Amino acid sequence: MDPGDYALRVYSLLAFGLVATQLSGCVIFREPVETTASPGEPVSAAPGTPGQPTSPYPAPPATAVPAPQPGQPPAATAPPAATRQFHLGTAATALVAQAHRQSGSGDTQSAISSIERALRIEPDNPLLWIELGEIHESAGHYDQAAGMGHKALQLATGDPRAQSASWHLIADALKARGRNGEAAEAQHRADELGVQ
Amino acid sequence: MAAGRRVKIWHYLLAVVLLCVIVLAIYVVHLDRIVTTQFEGRRWTLPAQVYAAPQELYAGEDLSAPDLEHELQRLQYRRVDHLDRPGSYSRQGDHFQVSLRATRFSDEARAAMVLNVASSGAGITALTDITGKDVAIARLEPLLIGSIFPIHGEDRIVVTPAQVPPMLPAALKAVEDRNFDSHLGIDPLGVLRALWVDARSGQLEQGGSTLTQQLVKNYFLDSRRTAGRKLREAIMAVLLEVHFSKTDIMTAYINEIQLGQDGDRAIRGFGLASQFYFGKPLVELDVAQVATLVAVARGPSYYDPRRHPDRALKRRNVVLGLMAEQKIIPAADAQEAEAKPLGVMGRGSGGYYPAYLDLVRRTLRRDYREQDLTEAGLTVFTNLEPRTQELAEKILERELTRLDHLHKNNKGAPLEGSVVVTAPQSGDVTAVIGGREAGFDGFDRALDARRPIGSLVKPFVYLAAIETGRYNPASIIQDIPVDIKIPGSPDWQPENFEHDINGPIPMVKGLARSLNLATINLGMDIGLDTVRHSLQRFGIEEDPPRIPSLLLGTFGLTPLDVAQLYTGLANGGFKTNLRAVSAVLAADGKALKAFNLDVAPVAQPDAVFAVQMMMEQVIQRGTGVAAQSILPTGIVVAGKSGTSSDLRDSWFAGFSGNAVAVVWVGYDDDRVTGLTGSAGALGVWDRLLTAIGPTSVSSVMPESLHPVSIDFKTGYLPAPNCSPDPVTVYVPLSFTPPEAPAGCTVFGAKPEPSLLDKAGKWIQGITH
Repeated sequence: MDPGDYALRVYSLLAFGLVATQLSGCVIFREPVETTASPGEPVSAAPGTPGQPTSPYPAPPATAVPAPQPGQPPAATAPPAATRQFHLGTAATALVAQAHRQSGSGDTQSAISSIERALRIEPDNPLLWIELGEIHESAGHYDQAAGMGHKALQLATGDPRAQSASWHLIADALKARGRNGEAAEAQHRADELGVQ
Repeated sequence: MAAGRRVKIWHYLLAVVLLCVIVLAIYVVHLDRIVTTQFEGRRWTLPAQVYAAPQELYAGEDLSAPDLEHELQRLQYRRVDHLDRPGSYSRQGDHFQVSLRATRFSDEARAAMVLNVASSGAGITALTDITGKDVAIARLEPLLIGSIFPIHGEDRIVVTPAQVPPMLPAALKAVEDRNFDSHLGIDPLGVLRALWVDARSGQLEQGGSTLTQQLVKNYFLDSRRTAGRKLREAIMAVLLEVHFSKTDIMTAYINEIQLGQDGDRAIRGFGLASQFYFGKPLVELDVAQVATLVAVARGPSYYDPRRHPDRALKRRNVVLGLMAEQKIIPAADAQEAEAKPLGVMGRGSGGYYPAYLDLVRRTLRRDYREQDLTEAGLTVFTNLEPRTQELAEKILERELTRLDHLHKNNKGAPLEGSVVVTAPQSGDVTAVIGGREAGFDGFDRALDARRPIGSLVKPFVYLAAIETGRYNPASIIQDIPVDIKIPGSPDWQPENFEHDINGPIPMVKGLARSLNLATINLGMDIGLDTVRHSLQRFGIEEDPPRIPSLLLGTFGLTPLDVAQLYTGLANGGFKTNLRAVSAVLAADGKALKAFNLDVAPVAQPDAVFAVQMMMEQVIQRGTGVAAQSILPTGIVVAGKSGTSSDLRDSWFAGFSGNAVAVVWVGYDDDRVTGLTGSAGALGVWDRLLTAIGPTSVSSVMPESLHPVSIDFKTGYLPAPNCSPDPVTVYVPLSFTPPEAPAGCTVFGAKPEPSLLDKAGKWIQGITH
């Protein structure tokens, strides 16, 4: 098959997929998602809408499905509805409060340790990854902050507020690195998800 | 003339004597400098002390009452009726009151405190302080798991006078040096008395040299026995007494003296000896145990309580007799103690994790000089979970024994094995087992045994394929023979494990059944470099060779390397460097270095999710199906078997929601084991995950995928009239599987396999 022909077909498949998503407006979860042993149980509710993430991942080989082009407005525009909302359990809440105190008094390392303790209790909670990313961000560890933003985004599927906060973190980290175009796009996604 | 000559001789003599005195004085000054600088500057070197991860306590935690009690006992908490000092607890039913010890964590110091813990069968329900106020979270002290001593060197746990039971110095004086409190380093009368006592009793009951001399001998001198050395020892003993108090000297003695040998490791001081022989802090030893250590001090190899228990017991009772005679303990106590057995722990029974320490040491060597680690008194906090480590040790040993028995292995060395366990989202290394005798500080297979990984490589082939965008788990791939030309070598014509050929199959079947031909055809299509690139991103240390057989995992990796790769898969395509060490503190408690959590995206999350779900099918219907009878019902885990050519290495690697585990089983001399990954390593892996208490793989389906049901054999939509074997796979939203053609043929090629065939396949699924 001619490569150009192939790419065309992939594009059309992708477009079809996006349209199909819009029409169905449906997100299927494999199973009820739990945050580990945490009292902050995510609440399942109405269907949500996908936000197609930009690809922060290593460029796949030439034949890959193209990621949405930077600069292009994000495809998903329908207001997403939350299918769940993450909360922190009691122990994690206390540790986050402690981390904020430590961070406030300039003890970044202890703050990081406190959030990491919380993450051992609720490793799948995006809110903790966002907290950790924000501490790294303010300490100037931008690569770590961006990594945590992406990890949070992966876990936040279905919770637009957490998704928005993840994009926001990614945007800040990108901006600090001088990657303004990508930062603006990430910020756009954050704002869009943060509307409701 | 004669008188003048005599005077001259006298002058000469005087000059010679003066010269001698001057030389001696210079010698004494020289020794004095050695004694003061070495002894005062750093009284003894302090190997870095290494701690496990502390047990967290919080309401809602899945920690049952028996588990909590076990954790308290691991830390030597005493159960009492009424709470007294820190280090004790009381228990009424499922209610605990714990007097926590003051401790230093990596991020904060905590004062001693009383904690009330209410639990139910399932876990902790409430946590309150002594005033009844809720406590959100608290932690037990971290368990001391060892220290970093020099190679062929000294290991010790330094104790302060407050950590020494008073009867120990008293017993040492009674047995070794009765005039310790009054003499000036040497004790000529003591020597005479010792000779007299020994001559009368006909055995070596009392030693001639003072405790101070013994300390000098241990601290400053080598073990040669010469007259010159004896003189030097005596002079230094006196100098030590001149400069330092009796208390200082006794404390030094207690921390310095050699009390055993464990391979390359010299057991120095009573603090470590107490842990080494009895597994608890010195201060908690009873009379008989203290007497045993005093007995061992006389001759650690001659009175080795493990190798020569009879000698050690006899000597211990002599010590007890002397203690009673000197009124250190009542005669009745001595008699009671004499009736007790030695009560020494077996070698390597718990509390000593050499393979894990090995990993800690290697991590730290990147940042610290060897000397800092072995001498500077650093405190090292690690991510070891003692509970996980002990479960892994026990299960590996039990399964290897079973396999040896099952395969009637009685020629040559027994089967060996190793295990690495990590936390999926953080990369924390929670357990490392370097061999069957986990407590033995020998060859560390988890870190050093580089063995062919076989099919453990396959998930990365399938991941790379999906990442190209040209494949998804329902895509049809060809399980047909290959003939690969390799310049300068015979053609490569590998086969499936069962020598079968399955023709066109969906990708999910290729991975679940670990089909070699399908994987090679897929890998050759996407290109070897695409696969190698995928492995590199997940953190392989050395690039695998660029040859087609890499697709079958003919290159070697250590279990730790595999754990790095599989942790990335479990973590949804995010790489976190595996972390054994979490933080290092200086001797003064200042934080030196933190090993912080770091995650980096290294693969497309939706592709990783699709692969994870296919790896679940390995357990549901593939080479890992035997795990289902072991794992708790309803718990979904993902994994992959690996077997090297001719059945030399048996691997299984995979993950639940809360643990990644990698297991290797094989022989050190690379003999054929006759075991596939499913027949060997899987039995350790599933039992270990079950014992840890697994949660299901918790990945959330990305918004770009949707689940579809296909026939496992053909990849078509399951058609009711074609006796389908439906399996759920996750494919791009745009993808819909084709409908089965009329007549139910497999893409027009192969007729539906007979029931008998299916049964055969099912058995294969179990056996490889």
